[in-house]
Amino acid sequence: MDKKIKKVLVANRSVPAVRVIQTCKDRKIPTTAVYSTPDRLAAHVFMANDAVHIGEAPPVESYLNMEKIIAAARKNGANAVHPGWGFLSENAKFAQLVQDSGLIWIGPSPEVIHKMGDKIESKNIAREAGVPTIPGIDSPKTAGEIRRWMQEEDVAFPIIIKASSGGGGKGMVRVTDDSELENALAQARSEAKKSFGNDEILVEKFIEKGRHIEVQIIADQHGNVIHLYERECTLQRRNQKIIEEAPSPSIDDVTRRSICDTAVRLMRSIGYSSAGTVEFLLDSATGKFYFLEVNTRLQVEHGITELVTGVDIVSLMLDIAQGDPLSFQQEDIRPNRWALEVRLNAEDPATFSPSFGNISRLHLNLYPGARVSQGVYEGSEIPPYYDSLVMLLMTTGPDRETAIMKMDSILCRNLRVEGVKTLAPLLLSIIRHRDFIRGDFSTRFIEEHMDELVSMFPEGDSEEDVLKIARYVAEISALGTPNWI
Amino acid sequence: MTNSVFVKPGMSPKDIVSNVRRLDAIALTSTGMRDAGQSDYKNRLRIRDLSTLSQEYNEMGLFSSECHGGARWHVGIMNRRESPFEEIALLREKMPNVLLQTLVRETNLWGYRPYPKNIIEHVISRVDIDVWRCFSFLNDVRNMRTVAEVVMKRGRLFQPAIAFTQADWTTNAYFLKLVREIVDLCGGTDEIILCIKDMAGVGSPRRMHSLFDAIKQAYPDLVLQYHRHATDGLALPAILAAVQAGAGIIDVEEDSLTRFFGQAPLLSVASFLEESGMRVHLNIRAADDAVQKVRDWIRHYEWAESPFKGFDHGVVMHRMPGGAFPSSFEQAQKGGFLHLMPAILKMMSLYNQIVKYFDVTPGSQVTWVTCSGIVNHYAKERGVAGVNHVIDLLTRFIEEKKQDFDAMSPEDQDELLHLFRGAPGDFKNLIVGSYGKLPMGWPADWVYTSCFGEEGPEKIRQRREDSPLDALPDEDLKRLYQELTEKLDRTPGEEEFILYLMHPKDALDFIQFREKYGDTPLVLPTDVWKSGLQNAGSKVDFEYRGVPYSIERVSIGAEHDGIIHAVMKVNNQIRVFKIETPRARKTEIRMAKGLTDIGAPINGTVWRIGNPERGPVRAGDIVHKGEEIANLEAMKMENAIFAPYDAQITEIAVHLNQMVKQGQLLFVLEEVREKE
Repeated sequence: MDKKIKKVLVANRSVPAVRVIQTCKDRKIPTTAVYSTPDRLAAHVFMANDAVHIGEAPPVESYLNMEKIIAAARKNGANAVHPGWGFLSENAKFAQLVQDSGLIWIGPSPEVIHKMGDKIESKNIAREAGVPTIPGIDSPKTAGEIRRWMQEEDVAFPIIIKASSGGGGKGMVRVTDDSELENALAQARSEAKKSFGNDEILVEKFIEKGRHIEVQIIADQHGNVIHLYERECTLQRRNQKIIEEAPSPSIDDVTRRSICDTAVRLMRSIGYSSAGTVEFLLDSATGKFYFLEVNTRLQVEHGITELVTGVDIVSLMLDIAQGDPLSFQQEDIRPNRWALEVRLNAEDPATFSPSFGNISRLHLNLYPGARVSQGVYEGSEIPPYYDSLVMLLMTTGPDRETAIMKMDSILCRNLRVEGVKTLAPLLLSIIRHRDFIRGDFSTRFIEEHMDELVSMFPEGDSEEDVLKIARYVAEISALGTPNWI
Repeated sequence: MTNSVFVKPGMSPKDIVSNVRRLDAIALTSTGMRDAGQSDYKNRLRIRDLSTLSQEYNEMGLFSSECHGGARWHVGIMNRRESPFEEIALLREKMPNVLLQTLVRETNLWGYRPYPKNIIEHVISRVDIDVWRCFSFLNDVRNMRTVAEVVMKRGRLFQPAIAFTQADWTTNAYFLKLVREIVDLCGGTDEIILCIKDMAGVGSPRRMHSLFDAIKQAYPDLVLQYHRHATDGLALPAILAAVQAGAGIIDVEEDSLTRFFGQAPLLSVASFLEESGMRVHLNIRAADDAVQKVRDWIRHYEWAESPFKGFDHGVVMHRMPGGAFPSSFEQAQKGGFLHLMPAILKMMSLYNQIVKYFDVTPGSQVTWVTCSGIVNHYAKERGVAGVNHVIDLLTRFIEEKKQDFDAMSPEDQDELLHLFRGAPGDFKNLIVGSYGKLPMGWPADWVYTSCFGEEGPEKIRQRREDSPLDALPDEDLKRLYQELTEKLDRTPGEEEFILYLMHPKDALDFIQFREKYGDTPLVLPTDVWKSGLQNAGSKVDFEYRGVPYSIERVSIGAEHDGIIHAVMKVNNQIRVFKIETPRARKTEIRMAKGLTDIGAPINGTVWRIGNPERGPVRAGDIVHKGEEIANLEAMKMENAIFAPYDAQITEIAVHLNQMVKQGQLLFVLEEVREKE
């Protein structure tokens, strides 16, 4: 099989698709986009060299439709497939199908995806590799079974139920009280089924004040496994990350070395190749870290690692998929700055209720030290069927303070999205919060401080207010003097 | 030129009164920001334009600026879409030297119903005004007690006003009795200024000299202010007469604002008084600048002027107050009975001899509605002849028979006994004493039969003479606040709540207007405010929060299905506004309201109605507390809807797989309680 990538089919949409296409463009590798019916005019479609319609709006008919995607690659002459993140990116069956179709799979091997994709199995593997794990129970069938395990292992509420094959916060439900257990179990199973086609779940002790730290790994097919240091992804809402930074402000160099080396050891032990992430939960009370999971794919927040290390992870994934060995060694990776990322989702910032519709205006004044990864353009529709991510905003500086300062400037003055609500006011409140600035936060920071954060939302936006005036002028000009005047 | 300033906000009432006494010159109050606009421009003068005068006011050496009052407030929220609170805040900032003055009704405040004591206290203590001119259309001093107490306790200047009219019963003795009651109520003459309020402009120079002289003789230390409309054309000589008899402060307005029904022109009054040997305290240069500045914008208000122009000496008979002139004539014009106005004015001059009170809000509205109603009734039934007939009848009754009912013929008696049958509810309330006792006692008994028919005698027995302050029970402010919270679906501000207390429906309209259109009323020039941009390429430039803006009309499309697309440039950037005309089809979404309504917590799709255990639920089903009754999905996250209590489902307002908006009604439930 010819391992040279000639044309890449990007099996994704919006921000991840755009991100992959960007690197392909840099490297003059042609790309094919795929799209569902409501995405016919989406941003990623026009960035690629060509595009193929693969089905209707529901993901199972389009972005999760493996046959159609492979057919699209064949039809348009792509010899490699990049899955981005989400959708089929951690689907071993798809990876296998891609390879079986004679196409290059830009990602880890199907076997590794399969092994690590199952939370129960991956936890066992981690345990065997000597990586500490959180007390838990695999595939309990009933609430009674969960109660028994809690009694036997002396685990107290809160606990967390997760989809075994999950990720991205879907199918994750935290349970704080025994009375909620039945409903929570049903919800987690149903979400798991809907998102991953499999309602198997696992249950773990929920670590309060936990901090979420992950290590970016890059590994070639020749046994070279290198880490690109860690990211802190503690700030989450509904178990979905919304702010990430690199490096982590919550660990010292000793812990950093220990956590990075542990990640490398684990990934080497499973024969990992391509880009991947090992996620840990740091118990800030004890300073201990526990293995959470391995993400066998490119991650949303990979950009901040690129900013602090200077590498292009997507480009490395292309090299590795072609069989090229890594051209650098661990000691060549020397992060020398701080990077911060916020996820601009189309959601009501106070309620997280999704906000679909037309982006009637999109202004962004780029700024020294800023990077933007956007999946929409002015005039785009945000359809209700998919992820609500509109763009990723990243800033860097020599230190954390500078990165925060630059992010504040962008969110406060240099970004304007109209037509849909975004998380921008909440993101701004968070990065202005004294505890965030001090680096003192846990995964529950947002829920614990929500009222305070909402009260910090900026009031009055002159541009918005002038549009109200313009609307009045337009209405009176069109309709004439109102009778009440 | 701040040395012209002799009184300032923050001074105690005592210091203000003492500074006026020591002034040794006649001081002036400008009504340019309130009564001038009310009397000749239907209160349409916008704060954006009026506030251009603030720099001059700040230097003019005025006693005060009357800038606040009931109709200005009400028209502000209904028509100008300005809040009286933002007006005060703006003027405070732009003219810190000037005492801001309101005109407030003693129990109706700035609204249209008598308020109980707790509302009066709540409202009066939260409005930032320096000079509180307070009047009673019944001249019932008892009714002023609560306002007086709260204002004086706040350390603000209370200015009781006596409503004046010229009639055989409004004698000096009558007024002196009122002055005595007022001085008693306010604990002397050192912390108040008394206003004589001639709201119609009817007091002749000789009458005014006599009245001011009588008061001054009785209370030499009492500072007197004279408020007089110009309707009869005799304002200047009347003002001179009042000043010569001891009035210390005169209400005037900028000459360029003057039409017919407001106050006398500022520079004319100053010059006339000076020539007559009186000193006037005024920075003439600043006053002249203010007069000139008015000319920059007053021409944009011709549309707001009264259709009835010119002085009207007949006002001494019909007594229509200056503040009611433009609005009455406008109503007549809109109602198609402008031609009946002479007859209505004649009717008023007869009516005010039968029921005696003062034609100022709310009395003037009672008079207007009652008299225009009678004339319209006769015109509709019997044409012009009928109108002449009823005027003849009343003229005969009043002038020939001196209101001796028994002296009228049986047919005339019968007609009089039906004259007030169609009178408005406020007239009925007035004569049974809901507003308090009338200044000259109750009307004759036949009026009650005329108004109430057979119930007349019963109504006479029910008449009450106590003050509404004592009659009205306190209202539950918390409940009213909660009511507004529900209507707005958010926490209202303190000022919004006060607007709501005064005019519940209009305040809501106002708040919703401002939520949609922001600061538009404060920013746009009047022509654009009223008519928009007329042609492609025309634009409006303004500064807003210190930044320049420009709105330009590019093109306005044709109407399709009730929708017009307007293309505008906002600071050079194209914007397309979708505008619904009254013909637009409305797809109304029902929102969840009360406790029995279950609303959607998020925007999403209803992917399940019911739950996996019991399957789908239907209207009529019983559900149990905590049971999942539906599930919404949005962006792959599930949101279960649980029954909040044991209930029967009365209605399911959505269907499976329907997209719903946050707050949209999903279920109507009826709580099921355990049988005892």
